[in-house]
Formats: sequence, structure tokens, C-alpha cells
Amino acid sequence: MKRPLIRGALWVACIAALVLGATLGAATPPKVQFTDTRLKNGLRAIISEDHTAPVFSIAITYNVGSRNERQGRTGFAHLFEHMMFKGSENVGSGEHFLLIYNNGGDMNGSTSKDRTNYFERLPANQLDLVLFLESDRMRALDINKTNLDNQIGTVSEERKQGVDNQAYGKTMEAIDELAYKNFAYRHSVIGSLDDLRAATVEDVAQFFKTYYAPNNAVLAIVGDVKTADCLARVRKYFESIPQQPAPPDVDMNEPAQTGERRQTIDDPLARLARIDIVYHIPQSLTPDADALSVLSTVLSSGRSSRFYENVVRQKQLSSNVGAGAGESRGPGLFRVAALVNPGKSVADLEKAIYEEIERVKTGPIESWEIDKARNTAQRNFITSLGSSLNRAVMLSQLAVFYNDPGLLNTRWQRLSAITAADVQRVARQYLTPENRTVVITNPKPAAPTTPADHEKGGR
Amino acid sequence: MLTRRTLTIVAMLALLCAAPLAQVATQSAAGQAPSTKGVVVKGNAPVSSETLKVKLPRPQEADLPNGIHLMVLEDHRLPQINMQLQIRGAGGYYDPADLPGVAGVTASMMMEGTTTRNTRQIAQEQETMASTVSVGASLSSESAALTVFSLADNFDKSLDLAADILLNPAFPEEELARYKTRQRAGLAQLRSNPSFLAQERFARVVYGDHPGSRVMPSLDVIDRTTREALVAFHKAHYVPDQAIVALVGDISFAEARKKIEAKFGGWKKAGVTLPAVQDPPPIGPSKIYLVDRPNSVQTSLIVGTQAINRTSPDYDVVSLLNSIIGGGPTGRLFLNLREDKGWTYGAYSNLSAARYRGVWMASTEIRGDVTEGAVREILNEVDRTRAERIPDKEFLDKKRSLVANFALSLESPAAIMGNYITSRIYNLPADYWDKYPERVMAITQDQVQPAAKKYLEAGRLQIVAVGDAKKIGELLKKFGTVEVYDTEGKIKIGS
Repeated sequence: MKRPLIRGALWVACIAALVLGATLGAATPPKVQFTDTRLKNGLRAIISEDHTAPVFSIAITYNVGSRNERQGRTGFAHLFEHMMFKGSENVGSGEHFLLIYNNGGDMNGSTSKDRTNYFERLPANQLDLVLFLESDRMRALDINKTNLDNQIGTVSEERKQGVDNQAYGKTMEAIDELAYKNFAYRHSVIGSLDDLRAATVEDVAQFFKTYYAPNNAVLAIVGDVKTADCLARVRKYFESIPQQPAPPDVDMNEPAQTGERRQTIDDPLARLARIDIVYHIPQSLTPDADALSVLSTVLSSGRSSRFYENVVRQKQLSSNVGAGAGESRGPGLFRVAALVNPGKSVADLEKAIYEEIERVKTGPIESWEIDKARNTAQRNFITSLGSSLNRAVMLSQLAVFYNDPGLLNTRWQRLSAITAADVQRVARQYLTPENRTVVITNPKPAAPTTPADHEKGGR
Repeated sequence: MLTRRTLTIVAMLALLCAAPLAQVATQSAAGQAPSTKGVVVKGNAPVSSETLKVKLPRPQEADLPNGIHLMVLEDHRLPQINMQLQIRGAGGYYDPADLPGVAGVTASMMMEGTTTRNTRQIAQEQETMASTVSVGASLSSESAALTVFSLADNFDKSLDLAADILLNPAFPEEELARYKTRQRAGLAQLRSNPSFLAQERFARVVYGDHPGSRVMPSLDVIDRTTREALVAFHKAHYVPDQAIVALVGDISFAEARKKIEAKFGGWKKAGVTLPAVQDPPPIGPSKIYLVDRPNSVQTSLIVGTQAINRTSPDYDVVSLLNSIIGGGPTGRLFLNLREDKGWTYGAYSNLSAARYRGVWMASTEIRGDVTEGAVREILNEVDRTRAERIPDKEFLDKKRSLVANFALSLESPAAIMGNYITSRIYNLPADYWDKYPERVMAITQDQVQPAAKKYLEAGRLQIVAVGDAKKIGELLKKFGTVEVYDTEGKIKIGS
């Protein structure tokens, strides 16, 4: 992942108060100012002042996601996220969230294929509290069998709630398993229940040591703080946490796909058939990924999109056709998903989707469609600045992913450069039959006796 | 220019935190469970006891001649404007009895064409400039809402489009037919969702035939809705007499007023008075309802009852009570069912109150074999709030949590405006939000216990479970007679 840095290393950048938009014209989005400091132990700390409200947000992104997991230990990064709330040397099990909420804050953590993050939002006078809590668990997490068993129970219910007990829950896992050959992205973030149950205290301890090191994390604080004072406190709480050897690199190479892959799933919880189609595409923040982002707007964003107008409204084959690619540090997927309307055929819907894709490749793309993509990117950027938490999450994530938190300010502009010709080029290059994986989910009437065929390796 | 008032967030009164807490064991001792079940408190973390003073911005307001009440909260940090137009009388509460759901269809269909724009033009115009203009009406609410969200530069064009949608909808037959097709697919899809099935049954159980019971229109209503019904509903209900227009963002009050008068000044007052809103009939004795969803690997559970009106003087007390039982991860339900038992990903309770009597409900999704235990634990937690005084520390923590959390909303002008819209809708006193912190801090345990007895009466709690009847049907019978429904909402077994 080579990313052009805006300007070299930026360990100590400007110290400037952030005054969002106060002196800027309406059309110019405000610029978020921040400082960027590397502590002695390798922890990177980004601080951005904003005195709009007596509130600040903090986010810590650890450079570990399900892509770092090995076979037989799927779901580990996410299980670990749960363990981070079960106590550390000076904080009892559950005390973390009790203290955050009791003092008026909110918090959470999340795990993706590419990273794990933890974040809190608090009234301005509780900076020490959250720095204490976050540093204590980075320094000395309390890993024991009781907590582990308890959270395996919780995660297994989370899996059921989000996957096993939902219509199409299996579909989302099946499509990645079919499309990817490389294990890193092939398996789901939540992982398998069997693997989770096999997790040992030793596994968790080793995982912690490797990935939850200060040099493998970026911390961002945004809001009603004073930069110099805030940085001094960050040093006080975090700088003595020992650095660890860098975690091993992950092989992200995905072999080129040379022919369509296809699978059909019977889903007893579904009512309508569904089509999922994915295409391999490059990682985010590449020119082709940018053009594909504009393509997704043209195809599926809103009621003026081509999928909506032609497939949903005119042909009435589906009530909704979605398309797009999420952020991906490694080889990405452009996903199309559509439910089949009652009484319509899967084949007709699939054909209609391909017709729209072909029409992009060969026919004209109108200028308003390109304007729409550009304006949408600008609006989304401006709207996202309203929340200090969002800024903190993005600053730390962009630093981890691309070594460039400044992308927060500039990234949306990348789409301005995309032309209709670019969109057609990437459609022709990536949205091809041999590069696609298709999963059809058919509703299956509930069989009278189906012995726990839903739970993987049911006990 | 904002009118600002100083408000002291009393949250951090030097109250607590001085004394380190006794460690609480995770395992509940025989007898009463500790209030912080599932949590170990070491008490080492530094907590600030400093009093935080904040200023609560206040919108500027005006009454326009046609009845519109205008509210503007200026916020020039970002070049964007958010507008909400609430049309009281146009929500599903006022649906004709024979066509429940028509308000929602009317609102959606207003997006499908005006006398001068077709549906495609409406979509293309707003999406090209990345504005959002939409109309919606919930099936159980008094109001419909037209919302506009746009960058400041595009606000005039967005407002122009919004006014056209509001005042000149065409309700084209062809689009209505297409809308019905999409709705049928959407409804089929919803019926696969266990949370929806639980909500739908619960609403029916607590509200009976009252409009509060409506969650989604039935297929039958979708089929029977005609263009004429939409035209008639729009004509009768989309009137400015009791409308609220609330703007937040990069616009001055004077400018906002000028624009709203220009676009909506010609919207004629109808001079109608709305019929008084009625409470639902009192809820009957506790009963158990099972929605049989074959192949479910979890039980989606709701336990709840009718509770309180938004305008009740007890509202703050019941809110606090709700927060103690199941407000977020520090509520007793989460700590008990998730942190202590590991049975679920989450367990929460929720209070929803309107002008008519609303509901309190606890909900969770647990593995099937602990369904019985989960029902028991939820009932126990409610019982405890009636039977036991809330421990001092927990009570104070909860109050501080509510009040200090109020500070976070200051980051979001839209959230602040939401509070003022609530005040306006329910006729709350002018200083209602200024006094919110002190009001909450003044609540005592002696008010909470009677409120639990009054509003969460033991004999009135209803139990709704969605799951595989083969696996959980027998377990539920331990709590009483079970009425069983299929996923279409049709009764299979019971009275």
C-alpha cells in the first residue's frame, strides 16, 4: 500500500486552534487543523482543538482486524474487542463503561477486516478519566478464563442476532468466501462459533502482546482541549507503556479471477429471493477505486440512479438494488445486491442488472450524474465534520491505513477529478463476467424437522 | 445571533467519587442481587468533580399569519441548513378508521410527482445538488414531517422543490401502482425480521385498536388505497394551522423568515381544529404471546406495558426509572443478562411517550434455551424497582449520567432544536430545558419506587416472544396461557 504523503513526515505539525468555518465562504468546506506527534514508545497522538461545545472525543485505532487472523482462530480480533471492556490492572470488569456513562459520556468499540477501534465522547472535564481508562487497558489488560467464557457467550449471541437468525445472514459470509482466495479477507469478522469456543487464555494474551502495543496504535483527540496540555497528559498516561516488536505483515495478495464463480443458497428465514454480485477491484484511495466510487453513485445512489429508475421503477423487478464498495486497505470488492420482487424471476433481475452495467460501458454518462457524485462527496464531507467523534475516528483511522490523517480534509476532492471516461474505463475493466462472483439466495419453506442445521457444528 | 442563557450543568457536583467504592463481587450472593451485578468496581480512575458550566443556545421564534410557528437556531460552523416542517394533523393518528396507513402512503406519494415535476425530475433535481428533500408520516404519530437538508448554497433551490412537493402533489396513478408493488415487496421482506415481528405484536397487544398499535400498513390497506383517498387526505390534513417550521444551520433568523414567508406564505390557513387526542383503552392483565418463526436460533423478547403521557408531571421520574432498569450498558438489564450471564448481545429498556399514553418496554435477543430464565430475570428486575429502594450510589450515578450527557447534545444544534420542538409540541414551559438538570438532580428515591408501582404494575406486564415454537413454546407456558401467532400476524392458538 503505497500512499503519496501530502508532505513527508509530519510528526510535529502546526498548533492551531480549530475554528470551523467561521471565516470561510459557504462553498468552501472548513479545514480541520491538528497536531500529529509520535511518542517515544511509538504511539502516535493526533490532537485537534474545537471549542464549539464543552465536549471532546477520543478514538484509538489499533492496526489489527480480522485480516490478521489465522485459520482456526477466526473471530479473534472481534472477540478481543469484547475483552477490552472486561477489566485491566486498575479497572474492574465493566467499570470502563460504567465510568464513561455515569459521567455523561458514551463509548463503543468496533472491529472490521482492517482495524479495531475504541472511542469515547465525554464532557470536557473528564479528559484524565478516559486517558486513564484507555492507557490502563493498553498497558495491562486483565485476561482470565471467566471473562473469556462470559464474552464468548455474548459474542455467540451477537453472531446469532446479526447473522444466524437473520434472513440472508449466511449470504454475506458465503459471498466473501467464494470471491476471495486469500484467507485474510475470505472469512467474516465475527468468525465461526467453533473457533471462538476453541480460544484459550494464552491465545488472547499473545494476541494482546502482539497487536495492542502502543507502536501499533494511533490515538486522536478532538474537541474542547488545549493542545499542549492535552499532549502532556497523553504522554503522562501512555508514554511509559513498553513498545513491542512490529506485528508480522499480512499477505494481502489476491490472485486474479479468471472465470465467474456462482453459488445458490437455500435460506429458510428469507421471504424473497436475493441476488448478490461482487467484482474484484483495487484497494481504496487509488484512482480506479475513486472512479468506481463515482460509478456506484451513478448506478445506485438515490432515486435518480440508473438501478432505481430502470430496474426498480420501470421494470419493477426489485424494491431496491444497492451497489458500492466499502473502505478497503487491501483488494476490495464492488458489491451489488438486490431483492427479487414477489412474482418476478431471479434471472430477469440479474439480466436487468447486467444490462445497466453494460449501458454504462457503452452509452453516454450525463454530466449531471458526474456532478451528483462530486456534490454528494462534498456534502458527506461537510456533514461528517459536525461530529467531533467522527473526526477523531477518521483521523486515527486514516493515520493507521494510509499514514496520512490529513486525508480527512482532502480526500473528498479526489472525486472531483473523475470524468465520465474514467467511470466507463473502470466499468469495462472490472465489472466483467469473468471477474464476478454471484450468490443467489432462495427462500426455502421451513421444513417440518430440520435438526439444528443452522448452527455451524451445533453442539 | 443566538440568544444564549447560562445553564449550570450540576452533574459534577462534588457529590461522589471522593469515597472509593467497595468492591462488588460478580457473583450474586444468595438473596438480593447487588445493584451492580456483572461489574467489578475498583474505583481507581480519576473522575473530575468540577462543575461544568455550559450555555444552552435558544432558537429565535415567530408566529406567521397562516399559523406556522417558525423556529430558527443559527449555527454558522458549517455551510449547511437543515429544515424540518412538522404538519400536525397529517400523521397516521388521524387516518380514517377504514384505511389505517393512508397518511404514510400520502406522505410517500408526495415524492412521486407534482403538477410541474415528475418523480424522476424530483429525484434528479435534489440528488444532483446533493440535497435531501423528503416527506414521511409515521402510522402512529400526530404529525407528518417534510425535511430538507442541503448545503447553504443550494438552500433556495431545495426549498423551492420542497414547497412544490408540499403544496402541489399530483399523486399520479401510474406511480401509485408502482409504489404498491414496492411496498408489497418491502412488507414481505419485513416479515422475515424477528425484531419487526416482535414490535408489531407488542404494539398490537398494548394498544389494541388505538392508532398507537399501527406499525406498518397491511397489504389489504395497500391494495385498497386509491388516488382519490390520497388527494382527499392531503387536502384535509396538509394545512399550516398548527405547523412548525424549524431551521438549524448557516442562516440568519431574518433571512429564514423572509424565505419561509415567500415560499409558504400562500399556504392557506384552513381554520380547522383537530379532535382531541385520546389515550388507548387501559391495558388488560398480563398475558403471553408467541410469534412462531420456524428455524429461529434465538428468541426475540419484549416485556412491557402502557406507561405514561409525555405531558405528565411524572415523566422525568419514569424516564429515570427506565434508565435504571435498562438505559444503555449501565442499566440493570444489560449488566444482568449480558455482563453477568452472557446470554445476550444486549438487553435494554425504552420509554416512548406521546400526547397519548405511551409504552415502556424491555427487549433482548437471547438463545432459545434461556428464554425462560430471561423472562424471569426481566420480570425480577422490574419487581426489584417496586420492592426495593434504589441504592444511593446507583441512583446518584444514574442522575449524573442523564444530566452530564445533556452536555454532549450541545455539539449538535439539531439535537438542541429537537428538544425545543418537543417543548413546542407538548406545550412545555419556556424554561423546560434550562431547568432540566436541576429537575433531574432533585428527584429522590422516594419518588421512583411509587412510580414503578404505578406505571410498571406487575399484573399488567405483557410478554411477547418471537422464536421457534417447537423450541420455546413449552418454556413460555410456565408463565401462563400462551397465544400463538404465525409470522403473517394470524392467530394459531389461543383465545
